[in-house]
Formats: sequence, structure tokens, C-alpha cells
Amino acid sequence: MEKHEVKQRALARYKQERDWFAFLLQAAEYMDTPEGKLQVKMLRILLESKQNVIDCVEQDKPFVAAYFCTAPELFTAMDLPWFMIMETPFLAASAPYILEDLQGTEELGLGTDLCTAIRLPIYYIETGQMPVPSAVIGLLSPCDGTTMLQQVLQHNKAWHDVPIFCPDPPYKSDERAINYFANELRQMVRFVEKHTGHRLEIDRLRAVCEESNRTYALWQEYNELRRAVPSPHGWEIGGPQAFGVSQCFRAGDPRCTDWFRQLLECGEERVKAGRGANDYAPEKIRLLWFDIMPHGWIQEFMPWLEQEWGAVLVMDMFSNFPYTMIDTTSEETMFHDLAKRNLIDVPMIRQARGTAENFSGDIIRMVKDYKIDAVIWPGHMGHKDGAATAGIMRETCRDLGVPFLHIGVDLFDKRYTSVDEVKAKVSEFFSGMGLG
Amino acid sequence: MDTTIRSEAFQTFADAAGSIMNPAVREWRAQGGKVVGYFCSHMPTELLMAAGLLPFRMRGTGSEGTELSDAYFTSINCSFPRHTFNLALKGDYDFLDGLVCVSSCDHVRRVYDNWKQALPTPFLRIMSLPKKVDDPQVEWYRDEINLLKDDLEQHFNVVISDERLREAIRLRNETRRLQRQLYFLRKEKHPRITGAETLAVMVAGSAMPAEQYNPLLQRLLEDLSQANGERGKTDYRARLMIVGSELDDPEYVDIIENQGGLVVTDSICYGTRTMWVDVDEQAADPVEALARYYIQERPSCPRMNGDQPRREKFVQDLIQEFAVDGVIGERMLFCDFWCAEHYMNKQDFKEAGIPFLQLDREYITSGKGQLMTRVQAFLETMGK
Repeated sequence: MEKHEVKQRALARYKQERDWFAFLLQAAEYMDTPEGKLQVKMLRILLESKQNVIDCVEQDKPFVAAYFCTAPELFTAMDLPWFMIMETPFLAASAPYILEDLQGTEELGLGTDLCTAIRLPIYYIETGQMPVPSAVIGLLSPCDGTTMLQQVLQHNKAWHDVPIFCPDPPYKSDERAINYFANELRQMVRFVEKHTGHRLEIDRLRAVCEESNRTYALWQEYNELRRAVPSPHGWEIGGPQAFGVSQCFRAGDPRCTDWFRQLLECGEERVKAGRGANDYAPEKIRLLWFDIMPHGWIQEFMPWLEQEWGAVLVMDMFSNFPYTMIDTTSEETMFHDLAKRNLIDVPMIRQARGTAENFSGDIIRMVKDYKIDAVIWPGHMGHKDGAATAGIMRETCRDLGVPFLHIGVDLFDKRYTSVDEVKAKVSEFFSGMGLG
Repeated sequence: MDTTIRSEAFQTFADAAGSIMNPAVREWRAQGGKVVGYFCSHMPTELLMAAGLLPFRMRGTGSEGTELSDAYFTSINCSFPRHTFNLALKGDYDFLDGLVCVSSCDHVRRVYDNWKQALPTPFLRIMSLPKKVDDPQVEWYRDEINLLKDDLEQHFNVVISDERLREAIRLRNETRRLQRQLYFLRKEKHPRITGAETLAVMVAGSAMPAEQYNPLLQRLLEDLSQANGERGKTDYRARLMIVGSELDDPEYVDIIENQGGLVVTDSICYGTRTMWVDVDEQAADPVEALARYYIQERPSCPRMNGDQPRREKFVQDLIQEFAVDGVIGERMLFCDFWCAEHYMNKQDFKEAGIPFLQLDREYITSGKGQLMTRVQAFLETMGK
């Protein structure tokens, strides 16, 4: 495929996704609730981010393709537009074209045991449906699939000449590992400066990090609210959006902080009023969903959990971490703490990159802090390190005296395990454990 | 595995490859020697040798099920760690005095966590293996090796001097040199050793002391050399190369060869990737030499980002050198590394006009009929 053809094809596809979010925004604008207003605000930030990338492609301005855990505060400080290579499975898996795209990944000849969140971006790259950036910041954790995604990307003819830098995440989590990763981030900045012309000013980075700290402080405060019984929010608002706003769109942007402030106020009001997540289905089971949300079939499953069982998703893997505040004293402290945050704090990287301690540690912490009645490990087909930790998670829950369910699903592709089958397994589990 | 090699040395290798506990390990232990298991060919075994320990590469040879390890792993995990860990849970690895894992892949790295939970092996460590091949990664791995060195010295009450390390490197390089000689024999039009037989020799090298293995391999080379003229494979239809991951079962290669595809070389982690290049014996710092070798110099595996063009060149050079007619890409199910690597191989081989067959497999060779059919069809499509 010629370069201009890739450009047009990628633009058309990217605009299609933007339009999907614009449609969701229109729908959200009809929701006259504080939570609805939060959705609206988030979608506006998201749409702006998408439009920035479209503008860059159309006007040949520099932009990068990267990931949420590659210190996005740095991109904000450099005033550099970027998009997440795995954006579609993470943010748009409910879009109407996803099943067709998944079929496309199979026709490409990629093994169906390869994670769908990896297969989809490979499919978009290989079929010229992803905007070719000025530079790529690749991701080598948390799983083998991400490492291979970077390599297929470099192998692709349209992307072959695009400069790429992948910070190398060590397997360990000690001070030596943090310093090593901080050095990788420094190299990353030099690389981005060289290939985009955008410069990093340390005072600007300080301001962005301070803003980012405010965001994370509000997030922590909000998470405290979810300890309330009943929990003020469930699956519909909270963690996944907070993750998107704080890490995927404009990390360290005052509008993100404002979104969190509004989220907090919204939660506080509900707690004060003693209102739970669902006004029509009282909270009976407090759930920890220990994985990504089932983005591909979320609407078909999560409301059912609340309505059928009164099961409220009080916490999930993407929503609760002991996020490190960035010490903005000096350039050195900022890089150190950005390294720590992006190596040890951020979701998935935190659990799946290194040894299994964080799997069990996080489960113990969340079960105790949030009065969890049951833990569900959905067992996404791509999370092989997690699958190899299933015994440890089960044992951890047994020690805590909290029921544990491992299902075996594809969080993005509902053909893998049908939603009805998931519902049946969950129902059997709740009944068997005397819950609900 | 059927063999026509008349050599006692070969029989010793075949026996060692066909079981976990072999006479060499038994003898080593009987003399008070300690054995440390390891996963992954990125483990610098020279360090264990310099500590006076016998490095033993972990396998699931002889495993018949995963009934015990299924409590730890799930059905979307690779069957290699599941079978190997199952053997450990059954007690087949009770002879180990230690185990060193490497953060090699999503499946194998979790053996460390599960082992820690379930088994009382006194020395258990994991090494953080970088995913890139640049100088900062060499430095990181050098420090990892030094940390392991300190731990080994402390736990086993030994001193790993630079001299001992240099001697271990020299000994291990000698193994590599001999193994390359064995491979060179396979360049012949009528190779005197098959792919299955070669794999048995290579696997045995990870389960015996090098002091014993090297002279035996030298003897095998002499036996094969004397057999010149008497023997040599003539009845094959095509010369094949195997590219893939952990393959330690000669039976698997034997099935391929029984269909008429003679495996003359490979890029697998019991094959060329472990011995095509030597560690620098003249380097000022032997630890740094090891780090540089394991990160930058040896042929890499797909987990090393940014090195795919070099890997592809390595494979294509071997194809030329060994006059390969076609390539079989084997991977164990659920292996993301080799899934994507073979996807790229397929494109590169297509451009280069090299026939390529992708095979998914379980660790324990099963589905023999299907494998036979696929290989037969592959040979036919090659016009062989």
C-alpha cells in the first residue's frame, strides 16, 4: 500500500472512531444526572484528543503513538499530541465494527490464542487503518503480546521507517529498577525531541506534574468514598473513566483535574444521601472485578449483575493503586517518580509486569479496604501471566475467606465465551456461595 | 527414536535426553555435587559451573499429565511449564539444590512464583532479563549476574573467582565448538546424523557436567567421522530447518523425518541459538562478557525487541549454509512470542521464496497422525 493510501485509509478509520464517540456524546447529553454530566465531560476531552490527532495527520504536524504507561505527563509537558496504539480495544470495544475487525484479525493469519487487544492494533497497522505517526514510543510490558506488537509494527512496510523507542521495563521493582527505568525515560525524551522537534522544559514539566498530582490526590479521595456501604458508584462510572482521563488523554491537564473534582462531588452527594450505585437495585454483593472491564460486552453484562443479583462492582483492577505523588523538587526527582509511577503503580503493568506479589497484595488490600464479598478474576484469554497466577489468587482469597471465581473470557470478543455462559457461571457461583 | 548410529557416546546422550534423572546426574550427586535447575537459554550457566554446581535445564520429559500443576496454571498456559512444574510437584525434581528462573516469558516466569508457593527448594531466584539488546541492557544484566553471583557464593559457601569464571566460559565454549562441529556434519549431502539424533545430543548437553559431556561429544564426532562412507542419509525428500521455541523432544523431529523431511539445521533454543557464537574469553571482565553474550551477541529469541531483522538474517544465512529446502515453524500453543514471530517469518519467507509450514503443538508430542499429514502435505507442495 502506498503512503498516501495508508494516510487516507487510516484517517477514514480514525474519523469513524471519532464519530462513534461523538455519537456516544450525543446520547450522554440526554442524561440529566451528575454522572451523565461526567460522561459528557469525559467524552469531550476524548473527542478533543482524537481531533488533535486527526489535525496532525491532515496538516502533517508531529504526533506520536504511545501507551498509557509511558509517562504521558511528558507528552503533555512537551505539548505533543499522541494517541494510544491500543486505543480501540481499551476505549472503543463497544463500537459496532469491532466484531468485523476481530474477524479481520483471524483472516490475517494471526493465532486466535493471541490476545485480542494485541491482535486488533496489529490488524489496524497491517491493513493501513492506523495513523502513521512521526515517532513511536513502544511498550515492552506487561505481557509477551505487547512486546510482539512493537515488533510487528516495526516490520510493517508503512511503519518500517518510523523511528521507535521502547523504554525497557525491568522485571524487578526495587530502587535499582526505578533508576534504570528513569534513565530509559530520559532517553525517551531525547528521542522524542529529536524526532518531533517538541522540547521538554523542566518548569513546564513541573507544572504538569503538580497538576497530575492534584488529579491523583482527588482520585485517591474518590476511592475512599467507594468504601461506603452501599458504594456510591458501580461499574458505570469511576475507575475506567478515571484511568482514561488521567492517563490516556491529557495527563496533567487542569480539565482532567476538574473532571475528578466533579466525580468526587458526585460521589460525596450520593454517600451523604445514602444512595448506592443503582437506585433501583439495592447493593447485596460487593464485588472486586480483578481485571480490565469487559469492554466488548459490558452493556450486556454489567447492568445484569446489578439488576439480577444486586452485585455492585465496588472496585476493579484499573481503579485502585497506591499512586505515587511526583516530587517536583528537581528534574531528577520528577524522572524518578515518573519512572516509579509508570513501572509500579499503573494498572496491569503493576500486577503483570513483575513477580506475582502484587496480584495477591492488591487483592488482600482491596478485599479488606472495600469489604468485598466476592472476587471475580474473569481470566481474559490474553492474560497468560495472570492465568499462571490463578492458583495464587485462589489461595489468597481462600486465606481471606472470600469466594473467588475464575471464568475464562475474552474481554473484547463475546464469541469466546458467550455472555449467557458468563452469566450462568456467575449465577452458579453466587448461588453456590450463598451470596445475593 | 530409531537410530542407526553405532556409538556408545550417542547412546549415553540419548538416555540423558530421554529422562530427567540420568546416570551423570546420579553420579554427580553421589560424589556430593550439588545441582541447580534453570529455565531458559538466557541463563548464564557458566556462573553455576564456576560455583562448582551442575546446571540442569528444566524439562518435562516423561510427563504424562498436569493434574497437580493445574491447581496453579490454567488451560490458556503453555504446556511446557505445566508439565515441568507437574513433575516438580510429583517429586521428580527433588534432587535439585536450587532453581534459577529468568523472566523469559509470561508462562515460564510464573513457575518461579508458583514454585515459591509450593516447593521448599532451598535456593530459588529469578533474574530480570531485559527486553532490548542495547548497551544499558548489557549493563543491567551484568549487575543481575553479579547479584546472582553474590547469592550463590553466600548460599553455597563458595567463591566464584574471575579465574573460575574464565575456566567455566572456556569449558562451555568448548561445548559450543563441538556442537557446531556436529552441526557442520549436517551440511553434507548425505548427513551422518539426523535432526532427531542431533537434538538428543543437544538436550543431553544441558543435563550433564561439561567435563563429561565434552569428551563424549568428541568421541561421537570421531565415531561419526569413522563411519564416513558407510552411512549417511540418502533417502530423504527435502532438507528442512526448524525455527521455533523450546523443543526438547527428539521424537517430534523423528516424526517429521520419518515423512522424508531431513532436519539439517534449526533456530531453536536447544539448538543453534545456544551455541552458534562463543562468549569472549579475552574480555577484561568475564561477568560483562557473559552479559554481552547473553544480551547482544548470541542469536536472540523473539522476546528481544528490535532484533527481528538480525534474527531473520540469522535464519536466512543458515538456510543458505545448510542448503535448506523448506522451513518448519513450530511453536507451543499460547506462546505469543512465536505466534507473532512466525507471522513475520511467513511474510519474509514468502518474499524470499522459501516454503514455510507453521505448526502449533503441545509440549508432549501428541496428534502424531496430524503432524505426519501436515508434513507430508508440506513436502508435496514443495514438489518433493
